[in-house]
Amino acid sequence: MTAMNHDQFAAYMLKLAQPAPAFVPTASYDADGDCIEFLIAPDPFYAERVDDLVTVYYSQDTHEIIGSLLKGVSGFCRHMSEKMPGFKIEILDGSVKLEHIFLAQLWATEAQPNSIKTLTYRKLIAIAEANEATATFACV
Amino acid sequence: MEPSPPSRREFIQLDAVDPVSGKLFLVQISFERLQIVARRSMGQTREAGFIVPHVLQKPTAIFEGLRMDVDEDQRGVGWRCYCGIPQHSYRTDGTACPPYPRQVYLVFVNQDRIAYNWRWEKADPDEPNLPLNHQGRFKKRLI
Repeated sequence: MTAMNHDQFAAYMLKLAQPAPAFVPTASYDADGDCIEFLIAPDPFYAERVDDLVTVYYSQDTHEIIGSLLKGVSGFCRHMSEKMPGFKIEILDGSVKLEHIFLAQLWATEAQPNSIKTLTYRKLIAIAEANEATATFACV
Repeated sequence: MEPSPPSRREFIQLDAVDPVSGKLFLVQISFERLQIVARRSMGQTREAGFIVPHVLQKPTAIFEGLRMDVDEDQRGVGWRCYCGIPQHSYRTDGTACPPYPRQVYLVFVNQDRIAYNWRWEKADPDEPNLPLNHQGRFKKRLI
């Protein structure tokens, strides 16, 4: 472990970002938060909770959806695999497409077809599919 | 889509204020997460490098215990959320700007004292130093 004061940490981060690579959409699993962070644009963003699984990231510039944070994903996938055996089929070697997680949650909720929540999930499914978003973690 | 890098359990330690004692204690951030953030943009790199330490040391509020079951640490209590209003926000290219109006910056720290997520969120219109719906989201406000 390396302890840093704030100036050292800021300098360390700036160095880490050099040379600045071109942005690539990513979906990354973080074991410390048991969460998947999914981002398709480099914009600064603000977050809004949709439900206990999904928090949506909106671009500060365009206010379009550019990503999401999925919390408690290990437990969610275990639960869904028990509840919907077909879900387990979609998990290959610990990898799962994010669109399947969003769809499983959408099917499990009682949201109305035209509700904001449903429309938000549909948008997330669309961008996850378009970007082939996949995350790998110990889920079942 | 670029695959995630392999998990590396290396950590950077930063000072944060302990809401109970008022003294500083060390919070950890995984090197892997910092690498991921640094690959996104200079703006998000500067957010992590400048705003996260500021909020950890000079929060306007600290909450403990997330109400949603899924949010709660499977090992029990202890999730904390540090809330603050930084001096700057950062554009994608890293240019410093004033903080976003009617927004606060949140840093989430788990039971193991690992800061695992940070972001802007809308502020409570009645208490602009606090996040929207803070009454329903957190079990306890520590400061």
